[in-house]
Amino acid sequence: MEIPYEVTPRRDTGLYNAKLGVWLFLASEVMLFGGLFSAYVFLRLGVQDGVDNPWPWGVSVHKSYVWLGAINTLVLIASSVGVVFAWVALKERNWRKYQLYMYFVVSCALVFMCIKSVEYHSKLYKHHGIKLVDNSVMEGVIVDGSDRIRFTGEKLVIGLQGALPAVLKDLKGDAFPKFTVTEGPEGTVGEEIASASAFKAWFAKNRRAFYAKLADERQRFRAEKASGVENPKPVSAASSVTLTAAEPFSVAGRPRKILLHNATALNYRDGVKVEGKLVSDDILFEVHEVDLQLVLPTKQRESVVWNVIGDEHAKQHFFTLQAKKYQELAEYYKDRGGVIPEKQLRGRFLNVQYVHVAADGHGEEHGKDDKHAAVHTSEPKPTAGGGESEGHHGPSKVIAVPFDQVKFFGNHGPRYGNYYAIYFTMTALHGLHVVGGALVLLFFVVFGKKLYLKNPEHLANRVEVGGLFWHFVDLIWIFLFPIMYLL
Amino acid sequence: MADATHDFSKHKKTYTAVGIALFVFTAVTVAVGLVPWFDIGPPGPDGADFVLGLAVAATKASFVALIFMHLNHEKGLIYKLLLFTFLFFLGLMVLTIFADHDPIREQYDTLETTRGWLTDKPEKP
Amino acid sequence: MSAATADQHAEAHDHHDPFWKKYIFSTDHKVIGLQYGFTSLLFLAFGFFLMMVMRWSIAYPDRAVPVLSDWPWFQAWLDDGGKVTGDLYNMFGAMHGTIMVFLGIVPLAFGAFGNYVTPLQIGAPDMAFPRLNMASYWLYLLGGALMFVSFFLPSGAAKAGWTNYSPLATTTDLHYGDLFWTGQTQWLVAMALLISSSLLGAVNFICTIINLRCKGMTWMRLPFFVWAMLVTGFLLLLAFPPLEVAAIMQLMDRLAGTSFFVPTGLNVSGMSFDAAGGGSPLLYQHLFWFLAHPEVYVLILPAIAIVAEIIPCNTRKPLWGYKTMVYAVMVLGFLAFIVWAHHMYITGMGPAISTFFQTTTVLISVPSVILVSSLLISMWGGSIRFNVPMLFATAFIPMFGIGGLTGLPLAFSLPDLHLHDTYYVIGHFHYVVAPGTIFGLFAGIYHWFPKITGRYMSTKLGHLHFWPSLLFMNGIFGPMMIQGMAGFHRRAFDGGKAYEQISSQVFAEPNSFLANLAEKLHIIEPDAAFRMIDLNIVTSGSAWLLAVFQVPFIINLFLSPFFGKKTNSDNPWEATTLDWATPTPPPHGNFASEPVAYRGPYEYSVPGAVRDFIPQSETDPALIVGSEHDPEPEEGNSLASHH
Repeated sequence: MEIPYEVTPRRDTGLYNAKLGVWLFLASEVMLFGGLFSAYVFLRLGVQDGVDNPWPWGVSVHKSYVWLGAINTLVLIASSVGVVFAWVALKERNWRKYQLYMYFVVSCALVFMCIKSVEYHSKLYKHHGIKLVDNSVMEGVIVDGSDRIRFTGEKLVIGLQGALPAVLKDLKGDAFPKFTVTEGPEGTVGEEIASASAFKAWFAKNRRAFYAKLADERQRFRAEKASGVENPKPVSAASSVTLTAAEPFSVAGRPRKILLHNATALNYRDGVKVEGKLVSDDILFEVHEVDLQLVLPTKQRESVVWNVIGDEHAKQHFFTLQAKKYQELAEYYKDRGGVIPEKQLRGRFLNVQYVHVAADGHGEEHGKDDKHAAVHTSEPKPTAGGGESEGHHGPSKVIAVPFDQVKFFGNHGPRYGNYYAIYFTMTALHGLHVVGGALVLLFFVVFGKKLYLKNPEHLANRVEVGGLFWHFVDLIWIFLFPIMYLL
Repeated sequence: MADATHDFSKHKKTYTAVGIALFVFTAVTVAVGLVPWFDIGPPGPDGADFVLGLAVAATKASFVALIFMHLNHEKGLIYKLLLFTFLFFLGLMVLTIFADHDPIREQYDTLETTRGWLTDKPEKP
Repeated sequence: MSAATADQHAEAHDHHDPFWKKYIFSTDHKVIGLQYGFTSLLFLAFGFFLMMVMRWSIAYPDRAVPVLSDWPWFQAWLDDGGKVTGDLYNMFGAMHGTIMVFLGIVPLAFGAFGNYVTPLQIGAPDMAFPRLNMASYWLYLLGGALMFVSFFLPSGAAKAGWTNYSPLATTTDLHYGDLFWTGQTQWLVAMALLISSSLLGAVNFICTIINLRCKGMTWMRLPFFVWAMLVTGFLLLLAFPPLEVAAIMQLMDRLAGTSFFVPTGLNVSGMSFDAAGGGSPLLYQHLFWFLAHPEVYVLILPAIAIVAEIIPCNTRKPLWGYKTMVYAVMVLGFLAFIVWAHHMYITGMGPAISTFFQTTTVLISVPSVILVSSLLISMWGGSIRFNVPMLFATAFIPMFGIGGLTGLPLAFSLPDLHLHDTYYVIGHFHYVVAPGTIFGLFAGIYHWFPKITGRYMSTKLGHLHFWPSLLFMNGIFGPMMIQGMAGFHRRAFDGGKAYEQISSQVFAEPNSFLANLAEKLHIIEPDAAFRMIDLNIVTSGSAWLLAVFQVPFIINLFLSPFFGKKTNSDNPWEATTLDWATPTPPPHGNFASEPVAYRGPYEYSVPGAVRDFIPQSETDPALIVGSEHDPEPEEGNSLASHH
């Protein structure tokens, strides 16, 4: 028996199998994205003002992203139209036109993904932020590589019972440092390790040996105890190994992997310790924006951020802009009861302002600088929502942010806050759907000729079903665009 | 529908029209975010913008679902299926009302008042 | 068609397909069903093994684990005396739950029985999408393999409970250099694969049931099993995606450092946790239970469905209240989605929300009771054949009843404050899934075995399997109820020994009947009181003995295909549904000729008929006396007419 209703619809349901299947699949997709939308609302409503990272309201996130998002919306809509036309072309048995439309759709998908990657690249590599100990935030750019803890190591103390040490990925330089085992379990002292792969093999071997030894020791311990020996010799199996390098090696430690560090030691979370000398742990940073939403209004002038920036003019500039915006709000609320709502006072509108730390000759003359006069007048429109200004006006100075003043830092990647987290999760999942859908449609057009000649209706059905998925992907984006880019 | 070939020119017209409508609505969505004229309420984005933006998005979505996804031609079965999906989707959205009552966060309420948000205002220049 | 012709048919097929295509990368729903069956039985056994180690730690917290304590790989998780550590207990506890639910019972109930039986019962040649069916099996196997492999990683497998609550699950094992290869992360990856597998499976099932019913198989002529599979399919389809979301978000939390579920100001081991904060642990719980409550019904519905097939067949009576049961199962499916927060009373959601969920939870007991009562009433006045499947099916009803009724106190937020996270909860849901669902599944295996292999399973071994299993199942979970009410916490790896006040409560006075019995079984010292904590030994002993008495089943399962008594017809139980109208074993494509359903699924003991059963496809005028007969059935009514 053949499986019925593969091409022709069943009379009572009006559906052929694949169409019913894809609708069911879409129902589960609705629940999948529904879960994420629900999480979006949950997290956004759940933001506690003054405690949690504020949600970046509106287009103030970055105006250029709005245009990228809008173009992407148009691209997806165009591709959706393309899919229905491809389907119509098949129904009219016009293979050339079908091909044309399908390739158009696939190239739309390609354009979409390219624009998406531009956006991702900009968020991940061109925008950073540092939260200082008093919760003031600086937005700007971290100079490449300066967010690592730079250290010169001489000795490595590792344990054999865990996983491969994380420090291996942080060793810098062309050659793997040549290590000699100076302390460790019997039989290992004196061994030399000259490459990363040799290290892995050595580690795996000794890890196994350690556990075998431990098993033996414990067996002995239990046997002695069972036979009535008073105070049997305790179990002992050495797992700590000290590796000494032939010459000092440099380590660029990823802060997330490091628990503590001081002038002579770097302690990793996995228990590995590097002994040597600290080179530098300052973060080099170019400030573009100061965000004081989490700092009390009365404490804003004494905030740590001003010491770190060390530019009196930038500070003045911040508060001038704030005062201007306060005036604006006061004017708006004058006819509406005269009280500015608390939410507005705490919000982004007043407490996030553009600052510029000039690379040359700041101080007294700074204010008279022509370039700067231009900056002041080109401040953003109030409706844009925040203190965003595009472009740099003159070269910025790179400041060194001491590590002990930093509470949290990162690029505008998913780690940076819940908005970024849900933005990346949802758009990446949506992107996966785009790629998957495009691949399926590409398959239908590249390998579809044979089926077209055999049973064009079957191919039309396939395109219809693929199209249903494609429209769904479009539909999700229609919601994603406003909630992620605009509102 | 293979026998209804003569119908497709009409279909094509509908699809083109819907495509254009979707383009226009996209422009409206962007305008809601950027153009001051749409900015109802105080300066900066707020709840009104949200409602407006989502309403436009919902209109666009229903166009796509009804016309492009041929929902307007389907029999009842799919509607039933989607009705259930929609109900449970609503169930998921009900989740969000719990966000306002997060007991783990409520301990911060005390913190908030002691930090004096209610009394401190930015100094007037 | 006789067995002989079926063999010829099968042989004819051998010439077309090489072995690997026929048995490994098969697209035949029956082979996939068997693949699901064997894989999930292996995982069930593995989950059982994990539980036995845990039970050792609970019963004898100060003795070395036998056998395992000398195995070098195990050393990381034991202490010097060879005793189980808290880490190992947590790991095995988390994985026991995960493996039993997601890798054992769901694939066995839904994947194996659903796959094998559903297309046969609706008269379809195969599933609607055979290749998708294969894909979902392989995704399941891949997910299962990842779960299994995670035990051998340096970090061990997941240890944050089968619920994997954040922020505990987010912050566990974060100190390992390679976060991807930690058990906690692998759990999430494997879950994502398992969920995808279930989703594909659910799409396939629903589509098959809606579109592939044979001629005459109208909605109300579907066997109850098919209805239950349809509802289960919908539960999986719509409830699993939110868990997938939760898994993706937790994966992001672990790998990308996001803080979806990490609140502001979280401290871990006395240090401020390095994340942006602002997330909500409650969000995870909501998303998790949005799946995991419907999941409970995914576990139980197939078992009820199997029992509902076996009882009418062995009582020779129609299923009592078939239509009521169909509507009940639909209502159950719907209500299953709006009760999830009753798992979360003690998170402090507030009385208003608790009240809402209390109400819905109590409501859902109505359709459940309808189902069980209908099954019970079906047996009334029947001439019951107590063969092995019927024994398991009969035992299912009271066991599931106990499980269900003990759930009522948990449905109310006030008693739940006391009982939450105690052994009472463990006892309650294990009564539902262990002697409940698993007995249903055993019944199904014994019942359909003759169709699959053409031979019966041994009745003697079956009895040797059934009676001890029934006894020891109760020996395991009965004492848990008592301990739970006394306040024993489920996560205490020493079985509550550290809590003197709780554990020293007396269960039976010295020299009372129970104490004397316990003394004879060497559970307590002579003339000592039978304390609550001594019940641990009863439970653990029952668990190990239960394991011993699964051996007859394993022998039976593997030897009966070769040495079992041969069946003398394609319909050895004289059942009515279409699955018995196929050749034995059913060939690829299932039916010799296109089947037609002329009547309802349970036409047993029709007054005036020659035989006491009339199969759905019977056309011989002499044999259908007295039954409704629809000589020219339509393709099947639309869903609308019965909705």
